[in-house]
Amino acid sequence: MLKFTLRRLAYVPVSLLFVSAVLFTVLRLTGNPIDTYLDINRTDEQVAALTKRLHLDQSLPVQFLIYLKDVLSGDFGQSLQFGEPAIHVVLERAGASIQLVTAALLIAAIIGILAGMACAVFKDKLPDFLISTLAVAAQSMPSFWLGILLIQFFAVQLRWLPTSGRGGWENLVLPAFTLAAYLLPNIILITRTSMLETLREQFVVTAIAKGLSGRQVLFRHALPNALNPIISFIGLQIGRLMGGAIITETIFAWPGIGRLMIGSIFQRDVPVVIAGVLIVSVVIVVANLAVDILLSINDPRIRLD
Amino acid sequence: MGIAACSLAFVLGGVILVSAPASAQQKVLTVGAATFPSSLQTGVASFTSESLILQTYDPLVMRDNEGNFVPALAESWESKSDTVWRFHLRKGVKWHDGKEFTAEDVKFTIDRVIDPQTAYGYLGRIGQVNGATVVDPYTVDISTKAVFPILSKGLADIAIEAKHYYDEVGVEVPKRKPMGTGPFIAVNWVPGDRYELTANKNYWRGAPKVDKLVIRQIPEAATRIAALISGEVQIIEEVPVDVIAEIESSKRARVISIPTSAAMVLTYDTRRPPFDNPKVREALDYAVDKEVIRNEILKGKGEILQGQLLTARTFGYNPNVKARPFDPAKAKQLLKEANFDFSKPVAIMTQSGKYLSDVDISNAVAGMLRNVDIQANVSVVESAVYLKQWSALEMGPIYMVGWYSLNDADFATIWYTEGAKRSVWKNAEYEKLFVEARSTNDQATRDKAYQRMMEIMHAENPSMFLFGIPSVYAASNKVKNFGAAADKILRLEAVSID
Repeated sequence: MLKFTLRRLAYVPVSLLFVSAVLFTVLRLTGNPIDTYLDINRTDEQVAALTKRLHLDQSLPVQFLIYLKDVLSGDFGQSLQFGEPAIHVVLERAGASIQLVTAALLIAAIIGILAGMACAVFKDKLPDFLISTLAVAAQSMPSFWLGILLIQFFAVQLRWLPTSGRGGWENLVLPAFTLAAYLLPNIILITRTSMLETLREQFVVTAIAKGLSGRQVLFRHALPNALNPIISFIGLQIGRLMGGAIITETIFAWPGIGRLMIGSIFQRDVPVVIAGVLIVSVVIVVANLAVDILLSINDPRIRLD
Repeated sequence: MGIAACSLAFVLGGVILVSAPASAQQKVLTVGAATFPSSLQTGVASFTSESLILQTYDPLVMRDNEGNFVPALAESWESKSDTVWRFHLRKGVKWHDGKEFTAEDVKFTIDRVIDPQTAYGYLGRIGQVNGATVVDPYTVDISTKAVFPILSKGLADIAIEAKHYYDEVGVEVPKRKPMGTGPFIAVNWVPGDRYELTANKNYWRGAPKVDKLVIRQIPEAATRIAALISGEVQIIEEVPVDVIAEIESSKRARVISIPTSAAMVLTYDTRRPPFDNPKVREALDYAVDKEVIRNEILKGKGEILQGQLLTARTFGYNPNVKARPFDPAKAKQLLKEANFDFSKPVAIMTQSGKYLSDVDISNAVAGMLRNVDIQANVSVVESAVYLKQWSALEMGPIYMVGWYSLNDADFATIWYTEGAKRSVWKNAEYEKLFVEARSTNDQATRDKAYQRMMEIMHAENPSMFLFGIPSVYAASNKVKNFGAAADKILRLEAVSID
């Protein structure tokens, strides 16, 4: 287990180094932070001072090495636009992203697994047909459209929930459901397929023959055996949603990492972009580890070493 | 999604509780802003930043919503010589921590602004200043390197900061917790989300009419409007013109707009064919139906620029210069005389969302140019790429830009001078007049010079002068005394809620 964990972690710095180098080069080559930060009324002295501070007078590889040296000593650089340490800026937003993604995954997992099981149990009957059709329809629904629809209905018409912003649990409901709706179809379809396979297995037939109730057969015997593909799928989505829920974050004015990263890319705020990638990577690594551990607990045949 | 919605309705139906307002007596004003600055540091050269900054700070001289300059922390000022201005400060003004505002604070601020290490974005507004001297606690002299007639106007964007606060907390704390003399006191700043403030009951212009102010960032326009109609926020900024009808039909809110001093123009690369030929530039001006674009895209808001860079209320505007009429036949004839092969595509470069309806307007112009057989197309680029190409003065044949004149011709006309390195058009008389206008404190001489410069621009067409961009807000019907601001800065101390 420990060996496995260490091996997985060893890849992280290598890939981060590669990603940082690419990001650094692309962001520097396509825009100048002085242009995005200083007003066009700037003076030559200001340009000179900022050029020196950001080492823009050095060659690109040298600039990257200077940046790398600071990173290795734990300093991810000062964000030009925020005027504070980049890592602080990112961590402040990470909480909001983790909250949103966790809520969305929970909603999607609970509803998705239950609906998928219903499809499997009532295969080719009305519930299966209805749920599968809805799942396909949901997959073709863009989140900006669904988000605005939910706002109009629950916030403007019914006034049950706030339109946007981060605050109490009531602020979380609409964005979490919007994000969950994007995951739901896949979870339903994966659960359906996996359950159908499991329900054909010998041990399920045996369990039914033993006279166990339908609920016991489904939840105690079939579900745990059908669960692994679903856990893997959800694990993969965590990283994607952490930095990639930009549309949902924008519609609901949710102060997450996705919006921060897009803004920072436009501003050519290199320290924030790279610190953001780092934090998202850490979350992905932790999530993958958790998934592997969950898989091995659920199915002891999977060994981690 | 169907399942999601059903479950949502089910879950909510059971457990929903609408949170009650924190206190019935407290009047809270909530504003939905489209964009937020990254921090509350002063001097970041953007209107979104300045709009938040000026909730807690005051300048020496301030603009009102219409753009007029009125005394703020300075009660009056006069020139002591060509290069020294004396400012008489308002007495009895208190910082939010109760200490008194004095000339030391003004000197501290000016020194901070002009220090290149501060990277103060708005330094250019007072670019000629070389220092401040304290005469007595309520008098300060500001000296300039050369004659600088726009000093008092430029000072409107310089927030005066407290020397003792920086001495106590250093330079980092004020970026998150600003402390000024302004109408509201900073309480909580959450980047990308909200800015919470409380009323400064001792504000020198009178206490604000609300107890608390919350400015929230709601980037998506549809959500901003939903928040306004649902009553979550009472004022919203940056209302897209195509939803004005939707807001007004809600009967819960109204749209308030004002022309700004920002001129939206399409600038040509006058170094290269075909736009090195003044006849071609003039032809294009005839080819574009500005009235139609204003009515259809801007829904009648904003003003058509009258063949010049300045909007009608700006100092230096020439009332005798008029926009060319829409006359495609004349355009075609001029193009024929210019005898240039227009079969090759001509790109109009623009950013998306930088100015109101920028991409739509560019597309409309391109379509009208195609009607006179110029193969125009629109190239939308991201801001950093745009700025990089702009710095290199390589923007392609035509590009869209907006110039704020802030009610003085100097601020906008400078961008067509050679020294400013922002456009490639050159005109010796224009250059001479610009220097002349900047070298005197005599307003009549300045006005005359600018008016002549507007005539030159009209004759030469360095840019196609399109529109004075409107600034569009919407406010709940419960809100009283809110005015749209030509400079996009929220002025909220007089605003009350029923």
